[in-house]
Amino acid sequence: MNPETTEIIKLQNLDKTYRNGNISVAALKKVNITINYGEFVAIMGASGSGKSTLMNILGCLDRPTGGDYFLEGIDIKEKTDDQLSFIRNQKIGFVFQSFNLIPRTSAFKNVELPMIYGKIPARDRKDRAVALLESVGLGDRYEHMPNELSGGQKQRVAIARALANEPTIILADEPTGNLDSVSSIEILEIFTKLNRDNGNTVIIVTHEPDIAKCTDRTITFKDGIVVEDARREEAV
Amino acid sequence: MLFLENIKLALSAIRANKMRSFLTMLGIIIGISSVITITSIGASAQAMINKQFESLEGGYMVLMINWRNTESIDYYADLFSWDDIEALKNRFPSYIRYIELMNLGNSSTTTKVGRLEATLSLYGAGADYNKFDKSIQIIHGRMINQGDVDAGRENIVIDVRAARQLFNKENVVGATLPATIYGDEKDLTIVGVYETPPSIFSGLMVETSYTCYVPISLMLGSDARSAYIEIFASDKDDPIVQAEAFLSYITKVKNKPADFYMYQSADEQISQVNTVLGTLSIALGAIAAISLLVGGIGIMNIMLVSVTERTREIGIRKSLGARTKDILTQFLIEAMILSSIGGIIGMALGMSLAGLGMSAFGIGVVIQPIVIVVTVIFSAGVGMFFGIFPARKAAKLDPIEALRYE
Ligand SMILES: Nc1ncnc2c1ncn2[C@@H]1O[C@H](COP(=O)(O)OP(=O)(O)OP(=O)(O)O)[C@@H](O)[C@H]1O
Ligand SMILES: [Mg+2]
Repeated sequence: MNPETTEIIKLQNLDKTYRNGNISVAALKKVNITINYGEFVAIMGASGSGKSTLMNILGCLDRPTGGDYFLEGIDIKEKTDDQLSFIRNQKIGFVFQSFNLIPRTSAFKNVELPMIYGKIPARDRKDRAVALLESVGLGDRYEHMPNELSGGQKQRVAIARALANEPTIILADEPTGNLDSVSSIEILEIFTKLNRDNGNTVIIVTHEPDIAKCTDRTITFKDGIVVEDARREEAV
Repeated sequence: MLFLENIKLALSAIRANKMRSFLTMLGIIIGISSVITITSIGASAQAMINKQFESLEGGYMVLMINWRNTESIDYYADLFSWDDIEALKNRFPSYIRYIELMNLGNSSTTTKVGRLEATLSLYGAGADYNKFDKSIQIIHGRMINQGDVDAGRENIVIDVRAARQLFNKENVVGATLPATIYGDEKDLTIVGVYETPPSIFSGLMVETSYTCYVPISLMLGSDARSAYIEIFASDKDDPIVQAEAFLSYITKVKNKPADFYMYQSADEQISQVNTVLGTLSIALGAIAAISLLVGGIGIMNIMLVSVTERTREIGIRKSLGARTKDILTQFLIEAMILSSIGGIIGMALGMSLAGLGMSAFGIGVVIQPIVIVVTVIFSAGVGMFFGIFPARKAAKLDPIEALRYE
């Protein structure tokens, strides 16, 4: 198979150094990772090991300070901020630990938002937002404000929102970090389904080995370095 | 992003902070309402002044003693007499359409018919004065004519309202009316009844007396002197040029230094009033501009606060694909709507204030529709001008830093 078509993400000697005045923190050091279409990947590692830093770069929210990041063969370095906005809008669905729903804005409006930025006509937007909320089991919660939803429900709205423009990649940074175990299992089931049935490439940061076990591959970080990259047997 | 979405978004943001939004708008409200009040009052006053002279024929002017330059005057030598009227009439036959001495001062008289009473203000008129003042519409009988003036007949033309008040009917031609003219009691014969066509300032003056016309010769006597000459000059020639000619001629006839006499013309008075109103508008306009500036800065301030408060929201929006332009327009439209709402409230307030002020004088406000359009566009412009800085600040936020903001 042509590697051009199987590789969705390719990191080459990726560095990320934070500079605050004269203190600099090397959060990622010479990271080389290749992820193929349709993979379900868990990112693990101790606190401060660089997981969120990596996710932000993968999600085109932040730029590396060294090395290369190719997303579907596109060199991210070359892209302007507005072009990155477009990539985030079209190709990436981001799910955060802290949900990041827009306050005082209904579940429905939150889900609709990426489609507004994606210039989808109003009629199609409504239909799709309704369908998405139903698919995450919130068919009766369209008009609820974020502060009227439980943590698990908020995260499901966030997932529905991440799926709005049918992205290929789902990035989730500790999506169950703020949830109880029952909600966590439900959320994880949604991600598993998206990967199995919908063909999405799913990358999930987690501290819980139980969650990592559900994935095809676990990449472990320590102090900004990849220390382990293990695929589960049946996936290999 | 779609324009309509931005408007909805802005309205919900404004609704979420009602009190704060209102306080922010206050500067704009005060600014716009003062502009509207000033321009409405100015336009109404201007319309009123113009209307006042509108009932008069063109070329209206009054020659008079220049009181400012005069310490003492000789009653017979300095004041105008009938001879001076004749001299002017003979010198400028093709320019002067009407010329008479004019009586100013106390000529009001209280008259009684049986038990009924009315106060009349007597106006000494030349023949056919109603041809020059259209507010005199004869409905019964006739106006003071040449025969009345030549012979100094004891005739009077009265206001229809005076007729109603004194006689309980309108056609009172032929009736006798007792009146006191400068101390002499006279029994005047009513030869005509007039009415004034209604106009926007009909209610302007609370009338305590009715203007009635008597022959000017009866009013002043044959050996009369007056400090004023009332003239309707040709309306085909420049009134100022004519007035200057009359003035220099009469100064020569009376053998007086220049500046001893002066004139006032309707055109000049209109332009004087307009100048005063213009100056007033500029002065008050400047105050209004300052309050708009302050209002604009208020909007800028609150938008900066809003951008800071909503940093995280901006980060979320960017993470979902909002471009620089999307965030910029979102905040710009919010600032523009905030200030437009202020402008609309200010406009309503200003119009009510102007209406209130004008109704004290019994005049309707003149509201120019263009003002409404200009107000909305202008206040939106103020919002845009002062909103651009905060909006740019929001748009330039780095997505990841905005998301991390606490
Ligand atoms: N904006 C920043 N400025 C400076 N240093 C930062 C910044 N963001 C992260 N770091 C540092 O980079 C390192 C990696 O942080 P990162 O947030 O990626 O860790 P993490 O693996 O996600 O940890 P956790 O599991 O606690 O979320 C840490 O040492 C952190 O202090
Ligand atoms: Mg993290």
